[in-house]
This record gives sequence, C-alpha cells and structure tokens, in this order.
Amino acid sequence: MEGTRQVGRMRENQGQGGVTRRGFLKYLMVAFSAVATVVGVAVPVIGYLWPPKTQAGQAGGRVAVADEADLPVGKGQVFSVANKPVLVIHTPEGFRALSAVCTHLGCIVYWDEGRKVIACPCHAAFLTTNGAANPGPPPSPLSTLRVEVQGGRIYVEGGST
Amino acid sequence: MSTAASRGWGRRLMDWLDERFDLSEPLEKFLRKPVPKHAIRWYFCLGGITFFLFVVQGITGILLSLYYRPTPEHAYESILFIMNNVRFGWLVRSIHSWSASLMVATCIGHMVRVYVTGSYKNPRELNWVVGMMLGILTLGFGFTGYLLPWDQRAFWGSTVGSEILGTVPWVGKTLLALLRGGQDVTGLTLVRFYGGHVLVLPSLMLIFLVLHFIIVRRQGISGPL
Repeated sequence: MEGTRQVGRMRENQGQGGVTRRGFLKYLMVAFSAVATVVGVAVPVIGYLWPPKTQAGQAGGRVAVADEADLPVGKGQVFSVANKPVLVIHTPEGFRALSAVCTHLGCIVYWDEGRKVIACPCHAAFLTTNGAANPGPPPSPLSTLRVEVQGGRIYVEGGST
Repeated sequence: MSTAASRGWGRRLMDWLDERFDLSEPLEKFLRKPVPKHAIRWYFCLGGITFFLFVVQGITGILLSLYYRPTPEHAYESILFIMNNVRFGWLVRSIHSWSASLMVATCIGHMVRVYVTGSYKNPRELNWVVGMMLGILTLGFGFTGYLLPWDQRAFWGSTVGSEILGTVPWVGKTLLALLRGGQDVTGLTLVRFYGGHVLVLPSLMLIFLVLHFIIVRRQGISGPL
C-alpha cells in the first residue's frame, strides 16, 4: 500500500501485533490529543476545587512585613497584610502602620518622602502620619494598625476585615 | 486500526444496553443525519458554537458558584478571592466572562444566518419562535450576570438597565419593583438576579434548547438558496 522504500522499514517496525506505521502514528495522535485534553481540563478544574491557601495572618493575625533595616527613618512602603495594602512608615518617633486605602475613592496612597506626608495619587490628598487629611477629599482618616518591632523584624497586625 | 480495541469496547457496551433498552435504532435515526452539502459552511456552525459556549458557561458557572457569595457584603470580596487566591480562579472567571460575550455574538450571528437564508419560513416558523426565546434567555443571562460582581459598573449598569422596564406604560413601576425586589437596586436585587442567573434561566434554557433541537431534527434544515 505504500512505497517500496518504506516496506522494508515497516517490516522492521512490525511487531507481532502487526502494527503499521500509519496505525501507530494514528494511535500516537489520538493518545496525545486525549492526554492533552484531559490534562488541560482536569488540572485547572482539580486545582480550582482544591481548598485555596488562606494567607497566613488572615484577619487579626500578625504578619512580618520587612526587616527593620530595610526601612530606615524617613522611609515608608506599602505591604500586603492579609490581602490588604498597608502603609508602614518609619517616623522619627517610631513605626506607624496605616491602611493604605484612601477613604475618598479607594486609591492606594503612598509615602511622599520629600514632603513627609502620605499622598494619594488620585485626587491630590495629603495626609499626616496620623492618617488625617489636612483639608482634602478624604472624608475620614486612614485607620491605624498596630505595628511592633521584634528581633529586627517589623510586624503588623492585620485589621478585622 | 489501533482504535479498533476501544471501538470494540463501545460496541459491546452498546450491545449490552440494546439488549435491555433497544436504544440503537431510535438513536441512529436521530443522530445519524448527514449534513447537506449546501450547509457545509462556517456560518452554518454558529448555532452549534452558541450551544457549545452555553455548555462552557454551564461548567464554568457551576465552578464559580462554589466560591461566589451573593450578598452585598461578600459578593465583590468573593470575586477578588476567586481572582487572587483560588488556583485557576482567574482562568475560570475569565472564560465565563469572555464566552458570555461571545455567546451573545454567535447567537446573533446564528439568527442573522437563519434570517438571510430564509430558514425561518414555513414550515419552520415555530422553531424561529423557540430560537427567539433562546435569544431572549441568553440576553437575560447577560443582564443578570452583569450585576453579580457587585462593583460600581455592575451596580449602575443594572440600575440603568432595569430602569428601562420602568418606562412600560401603566405597569412599569410595578414590574420594576418586581424585578428589583424593591424600589432600588439593593442586596435583594442581587440575590434575585443570582437566583435567576443560576436556577430560573438555566432551567428555561434547557427546556427551549431541547425543543429547538427536536424540532430541527424532526424537520431537517432548510434547503439551499
């Protein structure tokens, strides 16, 4: 059925079951498609159903965010604490941790090192390290979170929600 | 040739079932319908694609319902959880969202094809009507599903969208209250839309789909232009 050139090699490949080259390739293709489909569908579905990891320090837990040395006086950085953005500032009086979600429209605030204020990029709100807005859009101050340093690590206590 | 073994397997299973239920013959008549030559065109596939997307929506929707929580307090949060914490959650939700839009598009495409080829004409008028019901249900899925993320866009989209119902003469206000479960879009609207999205609409959809398929098999598709 095929060229004479192939016949020799085919005989060579033919086992006792009499598998032809065409048959073998067909089998390979079907098997590959089947495996690819099963893996491609089963892996995401099983992964999806598998109980998701709940981050350490969900509501209320203490989370180590950084080393004390990484955040010298005058610096501030936003960290993820229990899936919520938290701004940690190293003021001359010590560390402060505040929710980094602006109470105006929910933008993520940042620490403006030069001006030594918390700034919101969306509507130019400037807040003190207490989280209070000097006249500006945010209707209420940012909530404060407990922060402590232990053994050179900065720990933030996650909020209730 | 290599699949002969598996075919033998299926054959034997079919024989076993036939012995008890005599399935092959009636099924054969129903399933073995060669596609007429004039219909071997991509635009004759739009209905089938729409159905395929509906199946995709069913599967991904069931998966989403395992994590989604239809309350004002938790709806948006559970969506964030699906997107950020659940493995492949982003994939499942994105597929659900994209094939929702695609399903509306292919549904309209199918309708246009049926219109252009004149397939809705006698004797197929009733299947056109059933198809219209399926189209309306599809839009219903889109409308109710839009509110579920419970973000600003969802809230205002549903507020404005449902407002349209309020403009119906005489009974508009009543219908609006009935749809929203109150005067405004609230948590009650959210559960109402969720219930409609996952229970009411799918049930109706299945009924009309079965009708649609039975009718098209009974009548066959329309002839060439």
